Amino acid sequence: MTMSANFVSTPSLAMSLVAPVQQAQASLATATTEESTGQYADLGLQLGDQAGYELSLKEQVGLLQTLTSANGLVATNMATADAALTAIGSSADTTMQNLAAWTPIGDPGVSLQTMGENALQSLIASSNATSGGGYVFGGINSSLAPLADYFSTPPSAAKTAVDQAFQTAFGVLPSDPAAASISASAIQSFLSGPFAALFSGASWTSDWSSASSTNVSAEIAPGRTAVVSTNVNQPAFQGLAQAYTMLAEFGGSQLGPAAQQTIASQAGSLIATAHASLTNTQAALGATQSAVTDANSAMSSQLTILQKQVDALDSVDQNATAARINSLTTEIQMAYELTARLQQLNLAQYLPVP
Amino acid sequence: MSLSAAFSIISSSFAANAAQTAVVSKNIANVNTSGYSREVANVVTNSYGGADVASVTRIANAALAEQAAASAAQAAAQQAISDGLSTLAETVSDSSSASSTSGANQNGASPSAMLANLQNALATYEASPTSASAADAAVAAASNLASSLNAGSAAVEQVREKADADMTASVKTINSLLSQFKSANDAVVSGLATGANVTSAEDTRDSIVAQLSQQTGVSTVVAANGSMSIYADNGVTLFQDAPRTVGFTPTATFTAGTNGAAVTVDGVPITGASSPNPIQSGALAGYAALRDNLAPQYQAQLDQIAAGLINEFAETDQSPSPTLPSLPGLFTAPGLTSLPSLSAATGLAATIEVNPSVDPSRGGDATLLRDGGVSSPNPAYVYNSTGAASFTGRIQQLVDQLSATQSFDPSAGLATSASLGGFANASVSWLQDANQKASDAASYENAVATQAQSALSNATGVNLDAEMTNMLALENAYASSAKLLTTVNAMFSALLNAA
Repeated sequence: MTMSANFVSTPSLAMSLVAPVQQAQASLATATTEESTGQYADLGLQLGDQAGYELSLKEQVGLLQTLTSANGLVATNMATADAALTAIGSSADTTMQNLAAWTPIGDPGVSLQTMGENALQSLIASSNATSGGGYVFGGINSSLAPLADYFSTPPSAAKTAVDQAFQTAFGVLPSDPAAASISASAIQSFLSGPFAALFSGASWTSDWSSASSTNVSAEIAPGRTAVVSTNVNQPAFQGLAQAYTMLAEFGGSQLGPAAQQTIASQAGSLIATAHASLTNTQAALGATQSAVTDANSAMSSQLTILQKQVDALDSVDQNATAARINSLTTEIQMAYELTARLQQLNLAQYLPVP
Repeated sequence: MSLSAAFSIISSSFAANAAQTAVVSKNIANVNTSGYSREVANVVTNSYGGADVASVTRIANAALAEQAAASAAQAAAQQAISDGLSTLAETVSDSSSASSTSGANQNGASPSAMLANLQNALATYEASPTSASAADAAVAAASNLASSLNAGSAAVEQVREKADADMTASVKTINSLLSQFKSANDAVVSGLATGANVTSAEDTRDSIVAQLSQQTGVSTVVAANGSMSIYADNGVTLFQDAPRTVGFTPTATFTAGTNGAAVTVDGVPITGASSPNPIQSGALAGYAALRDNLAPQYQAQLDQIAAGLINEFAETDQSPSPTLPSLPGLFTAPGLTSLPSLSAATGLAATIEVNPSVDPSRGGDATLLRDGGVSSPNPAYVYNSTGAASFTGRIQQLVDQLSATQSFDPSAGLATSASLGGFANASVSWLQDANQKASDAASYENAVATQAQSALSNATGVNLDAEMTNMLALENAYASSAKLLTTVNAMFSALLNAA
C-alpha cells in the first residue's frame, strides 16, 4: 500500500479536535473573565513591555488623587485661618468704632479698659484657632497655642513685662493714684518707646508668641509647593496686641484724662495700621486658597486624561468580547458534535459479524 | 505442472496469508501506541510460483521524526522559561479587578506599585505632618515596599532553586534514557547482523529519541551497521555505541550571587557561561536560561531598587559644617553601617528593611521620618532642630528625591539614569515583556510541535480502516485458497476413483 498525502492515521484523526477544543475552552475562560471585569484577564501578559508604562500612568493617577485629598486638608486649614482673620478684622473694626465714639469727658477710661480686654481676648482666641488638631497660626510650630493667654493666673509673662516696663518708666504702677500726675507727652513717649518694644523682636517671641516664623508649605500639585499657612509673628498681630493691651492696661488706670486721650488715639492709629497689614495677610492667604482650587481643577482634568489612557491600555471592548464568547461557544459545540460523528466513522461498524 | 505442485502453492498461500494477517493484527493492536510505525508485509513470488512474505517493512520517516523531535525540544525550552517567568510575574502582576478603584493597592504588590504607595503616603504626611496616623501610614507603606522587595527576591531564589532541581531531574532522565537506548540499539545492531526482525527495537529507539528531545534538542545519525548515534543540538555526542555520562552537581540553596553548576557531558560544560557552545533547546536549556540569565537579571534589578532606596532615604550630617558620613535612614539592611554602592548591591533586595528606630511595630518612633535622626541617635542627623510639629522640610526633600533622576548600575540591564519609580516601572516592563515573549513563543512552539507530531503520525501511524480493508482482502484470499484447496482435492479424488 502506498502512502499518500491523504493518508490519515486513526489516532491523529481521533485527536485532531482535542487541541482546538482545549484552545477554545482556554479562550472562553479568558473571554468570560474579561467580559465580567471589562479588563484584560492577565494585564501583564497582555501589555508586555507596556506594563511599566501602564503602571506609571496608574501611579500618576494615585498621586494626583492623593494630592487632591491632601489639598482638602490644606484647604480646610486655610479656610479656618481665613475665618479667624475675618473675625480678628471685624473685632478691630468694632474697637475702632468704639474708640471713635469715646471721649474722656463722659468716661473715666473704664470703657476703654473693657474695650481693650474684650478685643484682646477675642484676638487671642481667634489666633489660637485650630483645624485638624493643629493651630493654624502657629507656622510650623502647630502643636503649641500661638498666643499665650494674657489674662492667666498666675500673671502671664506678657502682663508681668508690661507692669515692669511701666514701673521702670514712672516708678509706680498704673493702678497707683500717683499715676494721675503722668503727663500726656510722658505717656506718649512711654507708649512708643519701652511699651512698643514689648511687642516686637525677642520680647514678642518670648512673652507672647510660641509660633514659628517659618510657615507650613505643602505640595499642592506634583512638583508645586506653596506656603499654605501664616503665623502670629506678624505686624498685624503684634500691632493689634499692642493696641488692645494698651487699652486694657491703662484705660481703667489712674491716669489723667489727657493721658487717656493719648492712649486712645495711639491705640486707634495702631489698630488702623494693623488692620491694613491684616488685609494684606488675608489677601495672600486668599491667593494661596485660589491656587489650591486651581491646582485641584487642573489635577482633576489631568486625572480624566490619565484615566482615559489607562482605560485604553487595560480595557477590552465588551461588545467584541461578547461576540467572541458566542463564536467560541459555537465552535466548542461543533467540535463536540464532530467528535461524536467521528466515533461512528469506523469501518468496523459496517462489517457483518461472521 | 502437477496437482501436487498446486498443493504446494496453496500451502505457501496459507503461510503468506498468516504472515500478512499477523502484520495487520500487530498494526491494529498498536493503533494507539505512540511512536509506533506501521508495518507492511512484502509478498514475493517464490521459485515454484507460490507466495512468500519476504520481509516486513517498517514505515518510518526519519525527516519528519527529526522535525517532530526538534520542535518538541523548542517547545519544551520555551515552556520551561515561560513557567518560570510567570512565577516571577505573579509578584508584579496588576490586580486587574475593576472594582478596586481606590488609589492605593490597585496596582498589585510590585515594588513599583509599593513605591508609588510610599510616595502617596509621604505626600499625605506632608499635608498633615502633625498626624501620628499619617506618619504610621508612611512607615507602613515603606515597610510594605521593603516586604515587596523581599518577596520579589525570594521568588527569584525559589525560581532558581526549582530550575536547579528541574535540571537535576532532567539530567537523571537523560542518563536513564541513554542507558535504555543502549539496549534497544544493541538489539537493532545484532538483529540486523543475524537477519532477525528488528522493527520493535527500532520503535523503542525512536520513542527514546522523542523522549530525549523533551530534555535537550538532539539529532541522530545511523551508521552502516544500523547503530544510531545521538548528538545534542550543539553537536556534543550523547550516544555513540555507548552512552556518554551527563553530569550535574545540584546546588541546594540559591541567594543573590549564587552561581549554579553547569551540566557537563564527559566533563565538558553544555550549559551556562562556562560552556563554549551551550545547548539551545529542550527543557534543560530552558531551565539553564532561567537559572543563569533571566532570574539573576531580575534579581539585579531588585537589588538596584533596594540600593537606590537606601541611598535616597539616607540622612546627612545637618551640622553647619558637616563632618560625619551619610547613614542609611528609613531603609536599611541588617548589619549595614554605611551607604551601599550601586555596583555592590548584590543581595540587598533580600534583606532590605525599615529601620527599627522609625518602625512603631518594632518599638520605633514614626515621627523620626519627619524630624530626621532615623539613622543614628546623634543629634547631628536631626533635620527638625526646633522640634516644630508642622516641619515638612525633610518630608518634602524625600518626596523630591524620589522623583529625582539618579544613576543605576548597568548590570541590571535597564536604563542607567532614571528616577527610582521610573526604574522600578522599567523593571516591571522588562519582566512582563520577557514573560509575554516566552509565553507567545511557548504557545507558538507548542502549536508547531503538535503539527509536526500529527504529520509524523499521519506518515507513519496506523489507519484502522486501511487495516480493516487489508484484512477483508486477506479474508477473501484465504477463502479463495480454501476453495482452491477443496477443488484440487476433489480433482485428486476424481483421479483416484477413476483408477
